[in-house]
Amino acid sequence: MDLTEEQVLAMAPDESSRKAGKELAKPAKWVSTGFSEAALWGECQGSGSKPYQTQVDTGAMAFRCSCPSRKFPCKHGVGLLLYYAREKASFVQQEQPAWVTEWISKRTEKAEKKAQQTTEAKPVDEAAQNKRMDARHRKVSDGLEELVRWTKDLIRNGIIGLPDKGADMCENMARRMVDAQASGLAAILREMAEISYYSEGWQQTFMDQLLRLYLAAQAYSHLDKLEPSLQQDIRTLIGYSQSQEELKTQIGVTDTWLVLGKQSTEDDRLITERYWLYGLTTRRPALVLQFTIRHQPQTQLMPAPGSCVRAELVYYPSAAPMRALIKTQQAAPADYQFRGHAGWTDVMAAQTQVSSQWPLYNDQVYTIAALTPVQRNGQWWLRDEQEQEMQLRPDFRSLWKLLALSGGQPLPMVVIGRETQYEPIGVWYQQEYKVL
Amino acid sequence: MQSWNDIINIALLGTSKKQLDTGGLPAPLQAAAGTVLAAPGTDREEQFLQLASLVFNYRQSGAMAVAGGPSTMTVCAPETKPYCSATAIQALHHTLDSENIPLLHLWLELCMRNNQVLPPEYLPRILESASRHKSLRNLAAACCGKRGEWLAQFNREWNFSVAVDSTEEMWENGTTAQRLEALSRIRGTQPAEARTLLQATWPQESAAVKAELLSALSTGISMNDAPWLESLLQEKSKQVKEAALTLLKKIPGSSLHEQYWQLLESSINIDHKGKITVTPSIPPDAEIFKTGIDKLSNNARVSDDEYILSQLVALVHPRMWEEHFKASFEDVVDFFHHEKALKPFAPALAQAISWFADEKRALSFVQHSDTFHMTLLPLLPSDQQDTYILQHFDAHSSLVMNYVGQLQQIWSEELAMKIFRFCAKNPYTYSQRTMGDFITLIPSSVKSALDGISTENENYQTYWKSISMHLVGLLQIKTFIQQSFTKNS
Repeated sequence: MDLTEEQVLAMAPDESSRKAGKELAKPAKWVSTGFSEAALWGECQGSGSKPYQTQVDTGAMAFRCSCPSRKFPCKHGVGLLLYYAREKASFVQQEQPAWVTEWISKRTEKAEKKAQQTTEAKPVDEAAQNKRMDARHRKVSDGLEELVRWTKDLIRNGIIGLPDKGADMCENMARRMVDAQASGLAAILREMAEISYYSEGWQQTFMDQLLRLYLAAQAYSHLDKLEPSLQQDIRTLIGYSQSQEELKTQIGVTDTWLVLGKQSTEDDRLITERYWLYGLTTRRPALVLQFTIRHQPQTQLMPAPGSCVRAELVYYPSAAPMRALIKTQQAAPADYQFRGHAGWTDVMAAQTQVSSQWPLYNDQVYTIAALTPVQRNGQWWLRDEQEQEMQLRPDFRSLWKLLALSGGQPLPMVVIGRETQYEPIGVWYQQEYKVL
Repeated sequence: MQSWNDIINIALLGTSKKQLDTGGLPAPLQAAAGTVLAAPGTDREEQFLQLASLVFNYRQSGAMAVAGGPSTMTVCAPETKPYCSATAIQALHHTLDSENIPLLHLWLELCMRNNQVLPPEYLPRILESASRHKSLRNLAAACCGKRGEWLAQFNREWNFSVAVDSTEEMWENGTTAQRLEALSRIRGTQPAEARTLLQATWPQESAAVKAELLSALSTGISMNDAPWLESLLQEKSKQVKEAALTLLKKIPGSSLHEQYWQLLESSINIDHKGKITVTPSIPPDAEIFKTGIDKLSNNARVSDDEYILSQLVALVHPRMWEEHFKASFEDVVDFFHHEKALKPFAPALAQAISWFADEKRALSFVQHSDTFHMTLLPLLPSDQQDTYILQHFDAHSSLVMNYVGQLQQIWSEELAMKIFRFCAKNPYTYSQRTMGDFITLIPSSVKSALDGISTENENYQTYWKSISMHLVGLLQIKTFIQQSFTKNS
């Protein structure tokens, strides 16, 4: 396991855990520490008489701590990893103590049991399942009919008055979509409710989203005429979920994946973490989503941005697969050669390809050989070696770090975005990947 | 894309008012548009939404980058100094985590002293800290190197990060803070040259900059500066006039100083038997009241005359008394401490020593006085400051605590322990933050002795313990910073 400080800090669930973890990343705080091939552990002196036992399964990147915290990883986990990242020499390889061995064996046992359970899955009551699906289909269809009516009313009367009432209108329709069990469309409507209606260009953003809703509704009403993979895309966009357990039974793509970056958003206590991955051999991008409720433990510890994992990823069925889940993972050394698109022309060709397969695609991730941030007319652009430029998203937060690393020189870069606006999430600076 | 703009315009107005002209659509969409319009049973809105969806997909499938044209962006010049070591960076991480500005100051100072610069990725954070803490600016400018200077051209808040090497360059091209530093440096060795430089650029400076730069003249001020400073009393800006007046008050021999002395000379006299009498003779409309001297005392026990005289004593050079009383300075101190009429003016004499930064007389004064005078502390030699504070600490603890943070050298262990014992008794006044402010002055050797310091007040014990632990942590970082640069320098 070879994590940098930055990578460990990126794993912390929030700012307070990050700060507390830093405080604990000192030798004085740990009664004992050690590592083996499978685990890293330490006993941290807390406020109680007995030290907290903190352990990390370094292979599958799983955590456990005897402290009562609900955060995952807790401050002791962050502190232990941070201490290890800073001062590896202070950790001695030794035989695992009993409490670590016990946990590791339990994990292995559990994984085996789970695998067995999957193979011996209960028979499905197809009649009941079909009945449930029909009922949901009816609910969704009724909801979409109402959504199209609402859309047409809007278009008939014009959207010029939206700055006054747009947010409420969209929020009300979002609630209706939740009732219609179309949570995906409700989420789009909530994004529409949050558009800044007094900023320049709101009309473009609004119309883009409105047309996505309209196209999704239309496509759902003609679902049987579409390709199966496209049908799945439409169902996902509307809000039908896909069983992760079922996906995990499929054979995935095994590769060494570089974790390009992580984006977090929070909406009403629901934290969505978007991990962008890139297969070093397959050269395929992937997006792994993790949802957690604030103050609830995470289900899976995700690899740190900037690190590499040897993992089997199963892509969700789609006409242009991007979202995936991690079936198995092991830490891997970051030993690779950069490969990416030559410039924007290449990127645009790749994007048009995605658009032709799945017209309602979301943000894509691209690695590009050499981009330079440049300023023109008060705006920042990313210029490739052919002097083609794409606009940097105006809300990009790490502009100064990007500029500091670039110094006006081109850098191999990872960008996220679509159409004509992009946001860098990492660069290779002197052959080392830096997360922005 | 025109057809997309048309879609937006119609959407804004509504299809009840305007309809899309499909003739304006791009050629590849014409056939599909024809199919949409020919479909039976579709209303206007349906047609519009279908055509809009068509254009939406056409737009996003054909997105292209913009031809950039020649770039005006400069490439940053390569660094001329080496980057600091990985250990120093590790120390920087700890320093930044501690959020302690004196430690960051120490780190930057050592980095600059070792002629090293920071790797680029750390620059935004350091420049941001420096923009919030003025004391870090010049150090940050030096440690951020060429890359920092290059970055600053895009961020007005960071315009202090112009690293200039020579004093001349600093004066000509630096920021106001750097120009002030350059002027002060020149003033230290060539007072007339510094004044001439300032006079040369004077008409181009703003009032605020004028006032700031004038402060550099307080070093090595003399009668040679008086004519120009007196001419500045005619400036429009009140800020500049006040700055000039303050400087004039520091020149023994200036007309202002003479004015003050004449009043004192006529009010305080010594007879042939050595008896001193004070008979205030200050006309109510005297010119001095236009120069910042207050007429009315704000203390019921001090008369207005005594108050006015005290202000004048504090602004007249102490050597004037030696000539006036025809006595040594030691005797003058003795008069001010023991002659009944002069006793009330002893603190003002100490203030005058401080005002004229008279180090020799400051030492003489404290040696011949049992009273503690805070204002004289900075004028004492470094080793004497520690002794003077130790001597008066118990009687004036709170007062001394206001100054210990400004000492120029690391505290002696004895002083540090005295301070900690006092802080342990008052942990809510001298908190973690106070310790953080003092950290560069605390000797690292006291780390082990900190455990032995406790407070009798049970309610304070836990709080002091946490302060003490915090202090140990900071001392560890301080040692690490020093070691990280010693090992690699």
